[in-house]
Amino acid sequence: MSTREKEYGFLRSNALSLVFGGLFLATLGGQALSGQADVNAQQTANGLEPVSLLDYVTSSSFGVDVMENWQSEYLQFFLFIFATVWVVQRGSSESKKPGEEGTETDEEQRVGRYATKDSPAWARAGGWRTALFSRSLGLLMGALFLLTWAASSVAGWAAFNTEQLAERQDPVSWVGYLGEADFWNRSFQNWQSEMLAVGSMAIFAVFLRQRGSPESKPVGVAHDVTGQTG
Amino acid sequence: MRGVRVVFVVYLAVIVLGIAYISALGLMGR
Repeated sequence: MSTREKEYGFLRSNALSLVFGGLFLATLGGQALSGQADVNAQQTANGLEPVSLLDYVTSSSFGVDVMENWQSEYLQFFLFIFATVWVVQRGSSESKKPGEEGTETDEEQRVGRYATKDSPAWARAGGWRTALFSRSLGLLMGALFLLTWAASSVAGWAAFNTEQLAERQDPVSWVGYLGEADFWNRSFQNWQSEMLAVGSMAIFAVFLRQRGSPESKPVGVAHDVTGQTG
Repeated sequence: MRGVRVVFVVYLAVIVLGIAYISALGLMGR
């Protein structure tokens, strides 16, 4: 650990994760309350009984709305992590420098015999452990994408069949739901926004700055300097 | 780093439990 790092307690050491964790819970609560109100407006319009908050948050219709957004976020991070290994954006703080594409040398990555005394054990171990640890961030994001996408398909299937039955139409099998426009529309509408957000961030960070943010280059750094953060 | 590891594990657990919970809702046909 760098000698310039301040000695902070638990809360300040983890403030970024804790703040976003808190915002996640607050906004998930907002989704539950506004979703229940939306469903109940429709129930009233159709002359049906309103649903309780507990009924709503244990429904697959709430579940699919949560999971379809999660899956697209993990797809975004998975693609961004892998794409930035191999392709660059000249001038972007989100990119490596042109010419540095690829997985780099063991020396640059400090693995195997180039590991330092404070390197993680699996960076030094070599063999399958170093191979796995070298890809662990992308693999986790990819696995979470597949799991959340699968969960969104299962919850979406149940919610779809509830609607089908309410409209006196035949329910579909899970495999049948994977071929339904509802599943693909939910997937694509979330994916398109993630791709636009990543592309925007990569290119906007070339010419614009946010003083003090590690997502930005330092304010005075030239537009054509790639990969520097401050 | 012990506290940081705790936050890491809590994040991963919340995500995995969320996926399991919503998958279960779907599988039960709720």
